[in-house]
Amino acid sequence: MSENRWLATGNFFTSYKAEQRIFLTHIDRVVFIGFLVLMFVWPLIFEVSNKYMLVIDSILIAIIAVYGLNLLTGFAGLISIGHAAFVGVGAYTVATFAQVLGSNHVLLTHYWPLMIVLAGCVGALVGGIVGLPSLRLKHLYLVIATLSFQMIFQWAINFSKFFDQGQTIAIGRVFWFTGKVVRKQHYFFWYYVILVFVVVLGFAVRNLLRTKHGRCLVAVRDNDRAADAMGIHPGFTKVYAFALSGFFAGVAGALHAYMWRGVGFESFMLHHSISYLAMAIVGGLGTLMGSFFGPVAILMLDLQVENLAEFVGHYFTAVGDVATALRPLSFGLIIVLFLMFEPRGIANWWRIIRTYFKLWPFRY
Amino acid sequence: MKNTQITIILVALSFLLILGFSVQTIAGETYKMGLSLAITGPTSDAGNPYSKGAEDYVKYVNDEKLLGDDKLVCFIRDDAYKTETTKRNLEDFLDEDIVFYLNYSTGSTMALKQDFEEEKIPVLPASFHAGNLIDSNYIFLPIASYSSQAVGLAEYVAANHKGSGKPKVALFLHPSAFGRGPLGDVKKAIDVGLGIDLVEVVEHGKDLDNTAMLKRLKSKGVQYVISQTVQPPVATMLKGAQSLGMIASTYGEAGKITFLGCHYAGGPDLVGLAGSAAENYYWTTSYKLMTAKGPGTDAQFALAKRYGRDDKLANSPNYTNGIMVVQVAVEAMRRAKSKGKKVTRASLYEEMLAMNGYNAYYPLTTVGPVTFSKDDREGVDTLQLYVAKDGVFHGVGLPFVSEYVQKIK
Repeated sequence: MSENRWLATGNFFTSYKAEQRIFLTHIDRVVFIGFLVLMFVWPLIFEVSNKYMLVIDSILIAIIAVYGLNLLTGFAGLISIGHAAFVGVGAYTVATFAQVLGSNHVLLTHYWPLMIVLAGCVGALVGGIVGLPSLRLKHLYLVIATLSFQMIFQWAINFSKFFDQGQTIAIGRVFWFTGKVVRKQHYFFWYYVILVFVVVLGFAVRNLLRTKHGRCLVAVRDNDRAADAMGIHPGFTKVYAFALSGFFAGVAGALHAYMWRGVGFESFMLHHSISYLAMAIVGGLGTLMGSFFGPVAILMLDLQVENLAEFVGHYFTAVGDVATALRPLSFGLIIVLFLMFEPRGIANWWRIIRTYFKLWPFRY
Repeated sequence: MKNTQITIILVALSFLLILGFSVQTIAGETYKMGLSLAITGPTSDAGNPYSKGAEDYVKYVNDEKLLGDDKLVCFIRDDAYKTETTKRNLEDFLDEDIVFYLNYSTGSTMALKQDFEEEKIPVLPASFHAGNLIDSNYIFLPIASYSSQAVGLAEYVAANHKGSGKPKVALFLHPSAFGRGPLGDVKKAIDVGLGIDLVEVVEHGKDLDNTAMLKRLKSKGVQYVISQTVQPPVATMLKGAQSLGMIASTYGEAGKITFLGCHYAGGPDLVGLAGSAAENYYWTTSYKLMTAKGPGTDAQFALAKRYGRDDKLANSPNYTNGIMVVQVAVEAMRRAKSKGKKVTRASLYEEMLAMNGYNAYYPLTTVGPVTFSKDDREGVDTLQLYVAKDGVFHGVGLPFVSEYVQKIK
């Protein structure tokens, strides 16, 4: 690495430590800090309607969920199509407290950060248990095991009287230092809370991947026998990957419960699991940046197709239900196109842009 | 001279400006409503005509100046039957300062209850689930609840059963809160003396073949099946029953099964889906059916024609459904205005609660009056039984009110 960390160009490192830096150049750091400041400041400058704050909050929650899925599928190479169920575990952890203690119990309304972390821990525990078959199963067989978990989760909630058979369980309004977070401040407040989680957990993922605990995931993904030969326990690593993924999903689930002010099982269905997988693929599997790009791209696309479907729905009244078909069609198409033409996802475009500026003004 | 001309022009301009503002004031106020429903996705077969009914009646209100110089605006958004999208739509409507809200599904109505309470906004959903009224003050059911409908059908079965002993009944339910809603109330009605024997409760899946289920019901001696679900699974069941020769050709025919259903489990669209298997299907709702000629149905046909709707839509009970909820909201606005009140959420809520006794509202689209009060937020309590004959639903007897629903309330 160049001695001058402002003007460094290209990829030249003189030590492993230098290669593992979070910010390779000072410019990277400045740009990141600038972006972070922008993310925290813009809601104070621009007035955004509740509708759009709700969309933005949802995207941020999806980013946290995709962190987990990316660790599991992107870094550890274990495909899961039950991720929405893990998110559901987090949400239903909060809902369990609401059912037992009441939706406005002080534990839920005042100690909500604790509840969010607790939901993450429960998600990790369930993730670890569901990950046990990965000791014996691989590839498609493991996919089926995660699908089974998704189905069991849906069935259990839908027929459980305790969880009101999947109907929405209300969660009370939380309190902050300034008092109760009322309706007007709700989405604004949760924007900041979720953003803090996104930043903290993002750094956690980035740092994890710099340690042996993160690199062992990649080693097992690339060749579990070679990893075994190097002293990594492949079985334990896979279960640990599931637990890690479950933690992120659990946190996302709890945030979902608080932000939507309720937990209903229709938010954690199989098609949500497939959506999370699509976000990870479109964003870029095995990249941290992909966890940001994927949710933004898929959820914004969904919003646009929703508007188009509504427009079409007004003109093609139920004949062949063209409007209804538009959403799954566009969703499927985008995944296929990415798999065919850009399997490394949007993160790869980001890499190309960064590389261009990294080498600028020189060309090779 | 020049100065005089300029003065005249300025005075004229000021006059025009003042006139412009006055015209704006005379033009009246605009009242905003929101409707979020499934125009696409699951149940859009019901949601689509429902949205057209609401849309057309809003146009009619403005064209015919039913609110005088005031204008009614209704934002209609698709939620594709997803609660999360419904919530987003509601937030959008609230930002627009709506004074009345029309919702659709059971799931989203239950999920948004606390928002309605906080916003203190009167709500009329398309869901007639009795559970919508629990822990809520602002939700009003347009017509009798699914529970009232199912109990009403069970009462009819008990009263008109020809064989000996109690009639053996099975419930065929949608696997959701929407479907399960009436189960508890039917059981309660049996506990307080309703003379039926509830043999089995079936929650259907997405099966395309119900042979096993039908044979099981038959082996248990089931004589009547009451459905609380949507039309496609009922059509599948009826086709299966037809191929097995199980459908009673007359009400209560011995050795056969008579099929009955609540509002969303029947209607003209069911005939389209099930064909001849829908013959002798008994169905109840609080809405007038287009096959029953009269001032209400004439008005509906005229409305559909006026706004260029096709026959299928004009005949749909869900088109009626959409018209009726806007009718109720407009009536509340009209009453608030006539009392000199400002049309707000609070004044509309007051008018909704006062809609009873001599102040009951009689829309032409229903078989009975709309009555609401602090203790009763189920609109039309009266039900009409219909039966399908030669591919058309016809009324059976006079409209009735479920006796056991009053007992278990």
